[in-house]
Amino acid sequence: MPGNPVTYAPLLTEGQSPSVAVRRRRERAGNAFVVAGAAVVLVALLAIPLFLGASILAWLPLPEGAWSRLGILIAGSAKAATCALLLAVPLALAAAIFSAQFASQGFRSWLKPGLEILEAIPTVVLGLVAFATLSPWLKHNVATLLALIVAIPVLLLAAGFAFGGAFRRQVGWLPLWLAPVLLAVVVAMIAVLGPLQKDAIVPPSPWNAVLVGLALGLAAIPMMFSVAEDALMQMPSTHVQAALALGATRWQAIRSIVLPAARPGLIAAFALGASRCLGETMIVLMASGNTPIGDPNPLAGLRSISADLALGMPEAAPPGGAYRTLLLAALVLFVLTFVLNLLAERARAHVRRTHAAPALA
Amino acid sequence: MRRGSSGEGALWLCAGAAAACLAAIVALLVWLGAAGLAPFWPAPIVEIGLADGHTLLGEVAERRGSTLVIRGSERERIGGAYARIEADAIVSRDTPRDAFAVTLSDGRRIFGRGDPPAADALLRSIPGANASAPAEWPNAHGLFGRMGTFLRDAGRFLVASTMAPSLAGGAFPALVGTVVLVFLMSLIVMPFGVATAVYLHERRGFAASLVRSAIANLAGVPSIVYGVLGLGLFVHGIGADVDRWFFADRLPVPTFGSGGLLWAALTLALLTLPVVVVSVEEGLGRIPPGLLAGSLALGATRGETMWRLLLPAARPALLTGLILAIARAAGAVAPLMLVGVVRLAPALPVDGAFPFLHPSRQFMHLGFSVYDAALASPDALRGIPRAYACALLLVIVVVALNLAAIVLRNRLRERYRVLEG
Repeated sequence: MPGNPVTYAPLLTEGQSPSVAVRRRRERAGNAFVVAGAAVVLVALLAIPLFLGASILAWLPLPEGAWSRLGILIAGSAKAATCALLLAVPLALAAAIFSAQFASQGFRSWLKPGLEILEAIPTVVLGLVAFATLSPWLKHNVATLLALIVAIPVLLLAAGFAFGGAFRRQVGWLPLWLAPVLLAVVVAMIAVLGPLQKDAIVPPSPWNAVLVGLALGLAAIPMMFSVAEDALMQMPSTHVQAALALGATRWQAIRSIVLPAARPGLIAAFALGASRCLGETMIVLMASGNTPIGDPNPLAGLRSISADLALGMPEAAPPGGAYRTLLLAALVLFVLTFVLNLLAERARAHVRRTHAAPALA
Repeated sequence: MRRGSSGEGALWLCAGAAAACLAAIVALLVWLGAAGLAPFWPAPIVEIGLADGHTLLGEVAERRGSTLVIRGSERERIGGAYARIEADAIVSRDTPRDAFAVTLSDGRRIFGRGDPPAADALLRSIPGANASAPAEWPNAHGLFGRMGTFLRDAGRFLVASTMAPSLAGGAFPALVGTVVLVFLMSLIVMPFGVATAVYLHERRGFAASLVRSAIANLAGVPSIVYGVLGLGLFVHGIGADVDRWFFADRLPVPTFGSGGLLWAALTLALLTLPVVVVSVEEGLGRIPPGLLAGSLALGATRGETMWRLLLPAARPALLTGLILAIARAAGAVAPLMLVGVVRLAPALPVDGAFPFLHPSRQFMHLGFSVYDAALASPDALRGIPRAYACALLLVIVVVALNLAAIVLRNRLRERYRVLEG
C-alpha cells in the first residue's frame, strides 16, 4: 500500500494485532515488573540496617574495647566534618544567597553547571590534591592560611563599602570580576606571607583535620549550594518587593524576610552537607593520617569511621571480633547519616508545602 | 544612594563567596590538567659536577628549596638511585647533547653518554635488563622532538599494561576495568531504575510515598556503607553459598566467595539507583499529559502507552540518568576497596576466552590506581605523578559524561517547551 503522507500508519494493523488475552497478559507482566522494581528499592534500603543489625546481634557480645574504639572513630569523623562545615557552610550559603537574589540570569546559568562539575569530580582526586600538593604546603603555612581566612572577608567588606556604589549596575556579574582579583590576592598573599611566617605554627601532623576540612569542605559545597539555592528560589519575590516598597533596603529584606522564611530549606542544606561530610571516605582516608587518637586539636591527625571501614574491612574475616566491631561502626555511620537525611527530607517537604502554591504573574 | 551602603558589604561578601567557588573550580581543573600532563614532558638529562670531584648523570626528580633530588641510573631496583644534593655543593651543571636514557620494562631508567653502540653496550652490562623502548637522546631534541616524545608517552600511558609503578607502566588495565565495571553496573541498574521511576510516576498513595522516601534516603547513605553491605551480604553471604553449590570442587579457593567484578557492579548499581530513578521520573513528569490522555482515548492500555509512547518520549531523560549514574559510579572508589578492586590484577576481566566476560575476577580501577599510586607506591617521587596522570584521566571521563548530561538536559527542556507551547 503506498504511504499516504497525511495519515500515519497505524501502530497495529488488523492482521498482526494481538488478541485481548495477550494484551491483558502483557499488561499484567508489565505491572508486575514495575512493582518488582519498586520492591527492590525498598528491600535495598531495608537490607542495610537489617543486615548490619542482624549480623551484630547474631554475634553478641561485642569484643572488649569495641565501644571505646568506636568513640574515638566517631570523634574523628565529627572533627573532620566540623572543619569541613566551617569552610563549606559560609561559602555555600553566601553563594546561594547571591545566586538566588542578586545574580543575573546569565551568570546563574554559568555558576550552577560549574558547581555541578565540581560535584562530579571524584573525591579520590580531591584527596590526591590534599595529600600530594596541599599537605606539603600547609605543613609550613598554617599561619598563612589563618591570615587568608581573616583577610579575605575583611577585604571584601572594605571593597563593598568603597566601590559598592560604582558597581551597582554590574552586580549580576560581580563574581566574574571578583574571581580573578581574588585569585590574584590569594597568590600574592601566599607569596608575600609565606616566607615571613614560615613555620610560625607547626602542626603536630602534616595530615590533619584542617587539611581534611579544606578538601572535604570543597566537596560538600556544591550539594549544600544547590539545596540552599532551591530553598531561596522558592521564596515568592513578592515578599521582597513588599519589603522594598515599605522602604527596606535589599539586604534588610533578605535578612529579615527571605532568610527566616527559607530557614527549613537552609537547615536541610546543612543537614545534607553534614551527612555527606560524615560519610565521605576517600578524602579522609588520604588526608587525615588515619591515626586513632582522640585529640581535639584540629592540627592533629584523626581516624574517621569511614576510613576505618575502608582500611579494616578487607582484612577482617567474617566471624572475628574485628569484623563485628567494623559492622557496628558501619551501623553507627548509617544511623547517623540516616537521621540527618531524614531531618533534611522533612525540612524540604515543609518548604514545598508552605511555599509551593503562589505562582505569580 | 548612601542608604544602601550598609548592605553593600554583605552583598560583596556573598558575591565573594560565589567568586571563591568559581575560582576554586577553575584553579582545581587547571592544576589537575597541569599536574596530570607535565610528567609526560621529557626532562633533560643533566650532568652535575660536585665539589668533591664526582659527577652525576641523571634527571632532576624534585626541587625542594635549595636541595635538588637527582635520579641517577637505577642499576639494581626502581627508586634505588636518588641523590640529594645541596645547591652549594654543585660546581658545574651541564646538559650534554650525547646523553641518553633507556627505560627498562620494569620502569627503571638507565642514563649514559655516547652513541647508539655505547647505549647497547651499557645495556648489556646490566644484568636482567630488558629495554621497553630504544634509547633516547632527549637533550638533542628540539621543541618538536620533545612534543613528539610527550605525545608518544602520553599515548603509551593509555594503551600500555601496568608493568611498572611509574608513568612507563600504563593505565590500560585500570581503564578497561573501570569501563567494564560501569557497563555491567548500567545493565543492572537501568531496568530496575526505570521500573521504579514508572511506578512512582503512575501510582500515588502510601506505598509510593514509602518508595519515594526510600529513594531519597538511599541517595544519602555513604558509599562506604554500600561497600560494607556488598562485602558482608554479596561476597561473604551469597558468594559463599554460590561457591558451595556450584564450585564445590575448587573450594578452599573461592570463586564468587571473594570480591569480584559482579559483586562490585551490584554494589555500584545500588549506589546509583537513586540517580537513575530521580532523573527518569523527572523526565516522565515533563511529558505533557495530553499525550497520555490521547493514547488512552485511542484504546491503548496503560502499559502499551508507557512502552510505546511515554518511555520513547522520555528517552533523553533515560540517557541523562544513565550518564549521571555512570559518572557517579566511575568516581566511586571507597566501596570498591571492599568488593574486589586490586592494585595489580593478573588478567583483564574481559578477554578472548569463553565466556569472554569473567564476573568473578578481581579487577583494576582508575580511581583506586590514584589512591594506590599516591599512598602505596614503592617510589614516592614516581607515584605522585602517576597518581595525577590517572586522576586526570578519571576526571576527563567523568566531567565529559557530566557535560553530556547537562547538554542533554537542556535540550530536553527546550524540546518540551516546544511541545507545551
